[in-house]
Amino acid sequence: MERMTREQLPDFFRSIASMFAGHAAELCEMDAKLGDGDLGLTMKKGFGALPEIAEKLEEPDLGKAVMKCGMKLSSVIPSTMGFLMGSGLMGAGRTLTGKAEMTGSDLAGFYRGYADGIIKRGKCSPGDRTILDAVNGAASEAEKLVKEKPDAGFGEVAAAAEKGAEKGAEATRNMIPKFGKAAVHQEAAAGVRDQGAVAGFYLAAAIAEFGKEED
Amino acid sequence: MKKILNKPEEYTDDMLRGIYEAHKGEVKYAGNDLRCYCTAKKIPGKVAIITGGGTGHLPLFLGYVGEGLLDGCGVGSVFQSPSPEQIFEITREVEAGSGVLYLYGNYTGDIMAFDMASEMCEMEGIRTASITGADDVCSGDPSVRRGVAGIFFMYKAAGAEAARMGTLEEVLAAARKAKDGTRTVGFALTPCVIPEIGHANFSLDENEMAMGMGIHGEPGIWNGPVKSSRELAQESLDTILKDMPLDSGEEVSVLINGLGATSQEELYILCDDVLKLLRDKGIRVYRSFVGEYATSMEMAGASVSLCRTDQEMKEYLDYPVHTPFLTMLKGK
Repeated sequence: MERMTREQLPDFFRSIASMFAGHAAELCEMDAKLGDGDLGLTMKKGFGALPEIAEKLEEPDLGKAVMKCGMKLSSVIPSTMGFLMGSGLMGAGRTLTGKAEMTGSDLAGFYRGYADGIIKRGKCSPGDRTILDAVNGAASEAEKLVKEKPDAGFGEVAAAAEKGAEKGAEATRNMIPKFGKAAVHQEAAAGVRDQGAVAGFYLAAAIAEFGKEED
Repeated sequence: MKKILNKPEEYTDDMLRGIYEAHKGEVKYAGNDLRCYCTAKKIPGKVAIITGGGTGHLPLFLGYVGEGLLDGCGVGSVFQSPSPEQIFEITREVEAGSGVLYLYGNYTGDIMAFDMASEMCEMEGIRTASITGADDVCSGDPSVRRGVAGIFFMYKAAGAEAARMGTLEEVLAAARKAKDGTRTVGFALTPCVIPEIGHANFSLDENEMAMGMGIHGEPGIWNGPVKSSRELAQESLDTILKDMPLDSGEEVSVLINGLGATSQEELYILCDDVLKLLRDKGIRVYRSFVGEYATSMEMAGASVSLCRTDQEMKEYLDYPVHTPFLTMLKGK
C-alpha cells in the first residue's frame, strides 16, 4: 500500500480490532500477573468499537476523524489505559489534520504523534516500561526509514514500525517498572516483557498487516 | 444499603431524569446524552464556564449551573469522571463566542477528560482555558491537593465575572484569585455507600471520626475519638491558618459545609465556634455560608473553608445567582 485514504479508516481500525480480538486472552494472562488482568479485554472492547464509530463519523478530514475516534475510545473504555490510548490517537490525528490521506512519511508522523500523546497524558518517558516503549520504537524506526527513503510507501513504513515496536517491547524485559502494580512487584517483572508494550507491538503489527493490502 | 432507588446501575441517569423533569426551562442536556448537563438560558457573547465530576456530591457539581454561575457540567457516574466526549459536546452547546473556562476539581480522571476535550476544541477553533479547585489542605502539597467545597468560591467569582461580560482572561483571573485565597479542612463521622457497590468502602466505629477525609472517602490525617465542635473548629482553623496565614484585621468569608447526613443544627454549632475563634484572632468575617455545598451522599461530617475577601471578592460574592439548587439575591 502506498497511501491510506480517509475512506479506509474503518478498515484500518478493523485490522487493529481483529488483532486485539485474537490476542485478548494472551494479554489478559500477562496482565493478571502484573496488572489488573483486564488489558486484553480493554483493548478488544476499545478498538473493537472504532470501525463502526469511524464509519458513522461525518468528518472528511482524516486527522480530525482520527482525533474524534481517540476521544470516543476513551468513552468506550473509561480507564487509565483508555485515556492513554485515546490520547495517543488524538496526538496521532493532530499530525494528520488537513489531510485526506496518509502516506509513508505521514505514518511516521502518526506514530510520533501517538507517542507524544501518551507522554503528554501519562507523564511517562521512554524507558519507564510502558506501552510507550513499543510506540516510541515504532516511531523511531519509521522516522529512520523515511529519512533514508522519503518516498517510502505506507506499507513499507508500517513494516519498519512493526520491527521497531517489537524491539521496543523486547527492551522492556530489562526495564524497572515505575507505574501500576508492576512497580510494586518489581521482581516478578524482571525478565518479562511489559504487557502494555506488548499491546503496543500488536497495534503496530496490525497496522503493518493492514499496510500489506493493495492500493 | 438503605436507599431510595430502582436499580443501582441506573442511579445517576434516574437522578438526572428527575432533575430535568423538575426544572424544565432552566436546564437541558446536549448531544442526546443525559450526562451532558447544560443551562437552557445561553447568553450570547458571554464566556461559558463548564465544570464536571462524579455524581454523589449534590449540589456539587451540576447544581451550580445557572444564572450568575456556570453554563454546563459533565456528569460522571457515582464518584467517576465524565468522558472527554461529553465535555466536548457540552462545550459545543454552551460556547457563546467568547471562549470557555473549564473549572473543576483536581482529580486525575477529570484532568485527563477535560484536557482531551480542550485538545478537541482547539481543533474546532474553540478557545478554552482550564483551572482546577485544590483547596483541601489535608490532602498534600498544593499541586496535588484535592478540590472540595471551597470550589464554591471559585464558581462564585468566575460566574460573576462572566455574567458581567468579562473576557476569558478576566474570568480565569477571577477563578484564580478565589483559588489562591481559599483553603478547606474537612472531617467525616460516618462513611457513605456507593449504590453499585452496596456497602461502605471503609468503616468508622461508633465514637470514631476521620480528620482530613476527602469527599470520596480518601484517607485523612488521623482517625480517632469524635472531638467537640469547639475542638474541631480550633483544629480546622489552625490547619488552614498554618497554610494560609492571615493577619489581624484581614477580612474573610466562611463556608461551613455539611457532607450530607449532618444536620443544619450541628453546622450552626460549628459555625458559632469558627466565628468566635476568628473574632478572637481579630480576623473580620464578611459573609458566612452555612449549609450543603459539596456533599458525599449520606456521609456525616463537615468542612470549614475560608476565602480571603477584598472589595473585588465582595462584589463577586454579592452578585445574584439562581440555579435549581441555589438562589442568592443581590447583596449580602
